Amino acid sequence: MIDLSSATTRRAKRGLLREWRLHVLSVFSLSVAFVCLAAALLVVTNLQAVEKRWAHAGRASIYLKDDATSGDVQQLKDALSKVQGVTAVHYVSSGQARESFTTTDDPNGVLASLPAEAFPASIEIDVASDVTDDGLTEVVGKLRKLPAVDDVETYQSWTDRLARLVRGGVAASALLAVIVLLSVLAVVGSTMRFALQRRRAEVEVLRLVGATDRFVKAPFVIEGSLQGALGAIGAIILLGALFIIVHSRLDGELALLLGVEPSFLPWPVAVGMVALGAMLGATAASLGLRKLVHV
Amino acid sequence: MPVSDDESRPFRPKLRAGARFGAEAAQRPILMFEDVYKSYRPGAPVLRGMNLVIERGEFVFFTGASGAGKSTLLRLLYRAEMVDEGRILFMGRDVARLTHDSIPFLRRNIGCVFQDFKLVESWSVYENVAITLEVLGLPQRLIRARVGEALERVGLNGRGHDPAGVLSGGEQQRVAIARAIVGEPALLLADEPTGNLDPQLAIDILGLFEEIHEGGTTVIFATHDRTLLEIRPRRVVVLDAGKAMDVRAGVATPEKDGDFDNELPL
Repeated sequence: MIDLSSATTRRAKRGLLREWRLHVLSVFSLSVAFVCLAAALLVVTNLQAVEKRWAHAGRASIYLKDDATSGDVQQLKDALSKVQGVTAVHYVSSGQARESFTTTDDPNGVLASLPAEAFPASIEIDVASDVTDDGLTEVVGKLRKLPAVDDVETYQSWTDRLARLVRGGVAASALLAVIVLLSVLAVVGSTMRFALQRRRAEVEVLRLVGATDRFVKAPFVIEGSLQGALGAIGAIILLGALFIIVHSRLDGELALLLGVEPSFLPWPVAVGMVALGAMLGATAASLGLRKLVHV
Repeated sequence: MPVSDDESRPFRPKLRAGARFGAEAAQRPILMFEDVYKSYRPGAPVLRGMNLVIERGEFVFFTGASGAGKSTLLRLLYRAEMVDEGRILFMGRDVARLTHDSIPFLRRNIGCVFQDFKLVESWSVYENVAITLEVLGLPQRLIRARVGEALERVGLNGRGHDPAGVLSGGEQQRVAIARAIVGEPALLLADEPTGNLDPQLAIDILGLFEEIHEGGTTVIFATHDRTLLEIRPRRVVVLDAGKAMDVRAGVATPEKDGDFDNELPL
């Protein structure tokens, strides 16, 4: 427990003011460490949004066999229109598919020389965003069994890749969190030991007049806690500034590329980071001063 | 042996929060050294089976050559050092057997004054004195009143806001004394408190200790300054060859300063 009496807070305030250069340096170091963690969390947050968006991409391509007749196509279109959650059904013939590729993705005319089978006819369907992955998979399973259907592409592989990317991002964030934890312990611990050396006379006097370990340590723990919290706040401000700069310049392109609007760290994450900083700072100070000056 | 008016008050030593003492505690000597041994290097003991009893309310000079063990003795008392053998009973409790957590409570009963003052120079005079009471968790209003009284007793009334570092040596020592007495300790230890002061200031400071002693506080004053021993008719204990020798018993408070003429066999 920390003794938060007025004498303790006054001593902590005095220590912060007297050693302000040391504390500013420490807070800056912590901000750099925290910015790495915050950046990783920002990436993970946005990847999760992208994954969520693409998990409900709402599209599927039903590739038809070459021998599918116009009757088969119409029958399929009618059947799909009646499926719950399917909002639009659109037929793309082999010729339309070839035309689409050769005009947009084939400036050198390489695709144009491919045989007709390379561009199978398909039915493109739009699915409502509230349709779950399981629901779409069920529909796809049924479609694959139809005689005119060759294959169905739901873009699930993209979602899976994004999910793997998010998992990787979370793992990287966890690793960064451990690095940040060690950095905070090292930076705050060293700062507090240094501050203790500089305030050796004060500690000696406290010991002489009968101060308990807790009383001696309390201001240092408060200072460590403040350092950790300010380090995290500094990192959030720094990252926020960078985010605003990037967001203002690449807003449209990013949104187009990702399909979602990039967002900053949610406030619970930001508050959690500050709380984590404060807690780590207090712990680091407490651990750093395990062996107090004995008089 | 001097007996103060405060002897009649119930004596309630507190070496640990919540500790209870019987009435017989008041009858015990405040300090007993029993066969105390202490050495820093093998084969070169500073104290060799030292025995000594100090009653409550006494004023005792500890003297001896440099390295005789005066400072060691005091450090053993406030548990900055541990005895190798023997016992030091403070208010009937063996100081060596106190747990780490109990040491602060021992020190709250002992005021210490040192040659080098041991003040926090960046703190104000008030803060240097008030810390003794802040450690006890007293309310600020009470702290202000008691620090004011202590500063008045040592002649530093109105100097509370001055930074301790800018004071003269004599003034700094007065601040240290105020810090030592503000908690009304049972025992006041002074380790060469006049060592850094000129002779007249030294006599003034000694006078201050006498005044504090008259209030009932037991005082142990370690010094190698014979002048001080000769002008005050107090008990003198000489530390020599690791043992304590009583060379002069204390007498009643002199009528005035400097009227004591007794050649010490030092």
